[in-house]
Amino acid sequence: MTVRVRGATKSFGRTTALDSVDLDAGQGVTGLLGPNGAGKTTLLRIIATVLAPDRGTVRLLGRDPSRPDDRTRIRERLGYLPQDAGFHRGFTVFEFVDYVAILKQMTDRRARHDEVRRVIGLTGLASVSAKRIRALSGGMRRRVGLAQALLGDPELLVLDEPTVGLDPEQRLRFREMISHAGEGRTVVLSSHQTEDIAALCTRIAVFHQGRVRFTGTPNELTAQAAGRVWAGTQRSAAALAAWRTGDGVYRNVGDPPAGAELIPPTLEDAYLLLMGEPDLEVTHS
Amino acid sequence: MTVWHLDPEAIRRYAQGIAPPGLAASAEAHLMKCVTCRDAIASHVDTRRVEAIWHEVVDRVDAPRPSWPERMLARLGVGEATARLVAATPTLRGPWLLGIAGVLALSVWAAQVDERLLRMLLVAAPLGPLAGVAFAFAGGLDPTREIGLAAPYSGLRLLLIRTAAVLAVTVPIVAAAGLALPGSHWLAAAWLLPTAGLTCAALVLTARMTPVVAVGVVATAWVLVTTPTAMAGHLDVAFGVGAQIFWLAVAVGGGLWLAVTRNTVTIKLGRSG
Repeated sequence: MTVRVRGATKSFGRTTALDSVDLDAGQGVTGLLGPNGAGKTTLLRIIATVLAPDRGTVRLLGRDPSRPDDRTRIRERLGYLPQDAGFHRGFTVFEFVDYVAILKQMTDRRARHDEVRRVIGLTGLASVSAKRIRALSGGMRRRVGLAQALLGDPELLVLDEPTVGLDPEQRLRFREMISHAGEGRTVVLSSHQTEDIAALCTRIAVFHQGRVRFTGTPNELTAQAAGRVWAGTQRSAAALAAWRTGDGVYRNVGDPPAGAELIPPTLEDAYLLLMGEPDLEVTHS
Repeated sequence: MTVWHLDPEAIRRYAQGIAPPGLAASAEAHLMKCVTCRDAIASHVDTRRVEAIWHEVVDRVDAPRPSWPERMLARLGVGEATARLVAATPTLRGPWLLGIAGVLALSVWAAQVDERLLRMLLVAAPLGPLAGVAFAFAGGLDPTREIGLAAPYSGLRLLLIRTAAVLAVTVPIVAAAGLALPGSHWLAAAWLLPTAGLTCAALVLTARMTPVVAVGVVATAWVLVTTPTAMAGHLDVAFGVGAQIFWLAVAVGGGLWLAVTRNTVTIKLGRSG
């Protein structure tokens, strides 16, 4: 396993951000799903070696990030896109990615520039390489963030809400890039968008109030909602959540009344059920 | 259409880069038009050399021209990578420096009016550079702090680079303000060694706490110790010969400690180290 977290607990003052969390992530894309404030970012910051847990153990790429030497070795093989990735807005795209490459200890100027050009090309930024970051759109800036994370072809890629704030087309392109990045390496990403998770992840962990409520595959989570989603002409009082769809039919999620017309569940239905039933905790192998 | 071709010897010498200038220029002009000779020369070309040249060309054309602060640093002999790190120091940006200069200008003006303010200005002078060092690593000011924390670059090296850069820029500003003070000109330099000592003390503390907290601890101790004596008119206690020797010792001691422990100490630029 590239990422192995056991019993990780982290508090900020009186707020417990993570409460005894376990997580394993190997090759492929692992998604952390949950509402804002559920603890996803705290766990990703721990995996990115930016934050240390108060309790629990973490192993990354076979090393212990609490040991300074190991931490440096891990950071050499790690790419990280923070949730609010900031930029030196006066830098051009090339200068900024080059700056991060220097922080990643790429000392040979020519080799470093080659690598900067490679990741800029991978993320479709070649045409704006000489533009100042302050002149770019939000979606382009997010690509710059991904480009710096891909520097050095890292074995472990940590992406915090990589698609937040992107329009549908940009999200699609980003999904393609992340999916491509997930081939042959470990990607751990967070999102509160079930569509992103369903489209990208081979495994998911659902977070709620600092705890893991589900771990397994997207199909296993979706299967949790089998027999609990039904269509009707009006909102059902028995439903945990219900909304009117585009074709005028109400989609109800919860315990169906007798004779209800059951329909196939989606990952979002299962996620809503999981969030709405606080006692439920499911872990798949 | 061309009717003559380069002879094999000319092709060999041109491909190996040993053709005299006249032959090289003639061959070059001919090769632009002659497919046969281009095909003939292909087998003589050292592909590694061509790739290296092409890389160099691409790098020169593609890499953006460094900004003027980076070019200025390069002229002073600073490496291009270090110059880029210095250029990214948040507290070397115009608004921050203008803020410091503005506060100092106001303070100097106030010190002309009231002698107590002159003493307070001396107490406050080292805090400008110290604040610059602290805020160079503050989350709110350094937009790439989170990315930097996850990078393998040596925390101590980054700390020293940014500290040196901040001091190199802020000390002359504060010194210029000092020269504008009324009274003896020794006042303009009296705060320099305390600033060096306080900075080194803060750097040493970063092995235990973040730069912002370390500077906060050092600055608070400085203000608490010096303010009462300075306000009572005893400037010698904080700025006299004995105090200057003490701060020199602190600066040298701190510098030596950092030099000795540079390979083993873990600087806490963030919460995890």
